[in-house]
Amino acid sequence: MNSIGTILIHNQKIQVVFRFILGITFMAASFHKIIDPGQFAQIIYGYGLFPENLINLIAIIVPFFELFCGLLLIMGVWKGGACLVINMMLVGFIAAISINLIRGYEFDCGCFSGSSSSQFFNPITLLFRDIILLCFGFTVFLSDIQKKSR
Amino acid sequence: MKSALGKITKEACIVSIISIACGLLVNHFSPAGIALVGSWDTKKGVISANEKNDVVVHEREIQNVDAVKKIYDHGITLFLDARTTELYGEGHIHGSISLPVRQFDELIDTIFEKYPPSTPIITYCTGRECRDSHELAQLLHDAGYDNVKVFSDGYPAWKKKEYPIE
Repeated sequence: MNSIGTILIHNQKIQVVFRFILGITFMAASFHKIIDPGQFAQIIYGYGLFPENLINLIAIIVPFFELFCGLLLIMGVWKGGACLVINMMLVGFIAAISINLIRGYEFDCGCFSGSSSSQFFNPITLLFRDIILLCFGFTVFLSDIQKKSR
Repeated sequence: MKSALGKITKEACIVSIISIACGLLVNHFSPAGIALVGSWDTKKGVISANEKNDVVVHEREIQNVDAVKKIYDHGITLFLDARTTELYGEGHIHGSISLPVRQFDELIDTIFEKYPPSTPIITYCTGRECRDSHELAQLLHDAGYDNVKVFSDGYPAWKKKEYPIE
């Protein structure tokens, strides 16, 4: 397991692939939220987890975190910082999905489209996807730390 | 290692500041922008992100089910169901007409033929987390109907009170 981790962190080709997957995923996820923040705010409300006063601010700001961090990862600039932010967001998403999964709360993830109320994703699939993305993010983060430590 | 973490934290802080600044700036100038604080308390009415040109107008709302029933009993107000035709088919306020927001353009002519613009109208959908009733009210207002109200609690509250349904 340790050797697999070392290969993933040190193999530059794998790192580029991980960065592109994360970057494209987050950039793609940001567009519809930037275009229609009202719809995204409604989706955040639907999670039933956030204080009323913060819902709009989250809807306004989070898409730009996704856009800039995604862009930086694709460009290969400030990879560590961008990845740290993305990993923190992914931990947040995983926590939010897990809480709603545990309490059996039906919600719209709002990940890639300003979906109508009929478009609900399977929370297990969402959770699985975010955990995989977090693993990618974690290796990119560790790889950048190692580079900067040299 | 420590200095690497410091560099990464610094990068993350700069990215965060740029993201927050851009988010606020774009939201301010975007026609689809929203207020910094929305109306998310269902006790105060139908929820809304308070967008620019928001369709949710709380002044249009009637928040008391019994008050709506009194208006219904007078028999002069047209009740329009903003939900989908499927939900309308599953049950609706007795005597109400289905006019789903997404089908407004194709169905409004039939409403125009039967009901003059002076007709008092109440729109409803599934309650305070549903904006369709407000959206329909705005479309009707724009089409010339000037006496349009919104029943905020919608069909579930009406049904719960065991008022007439079909």
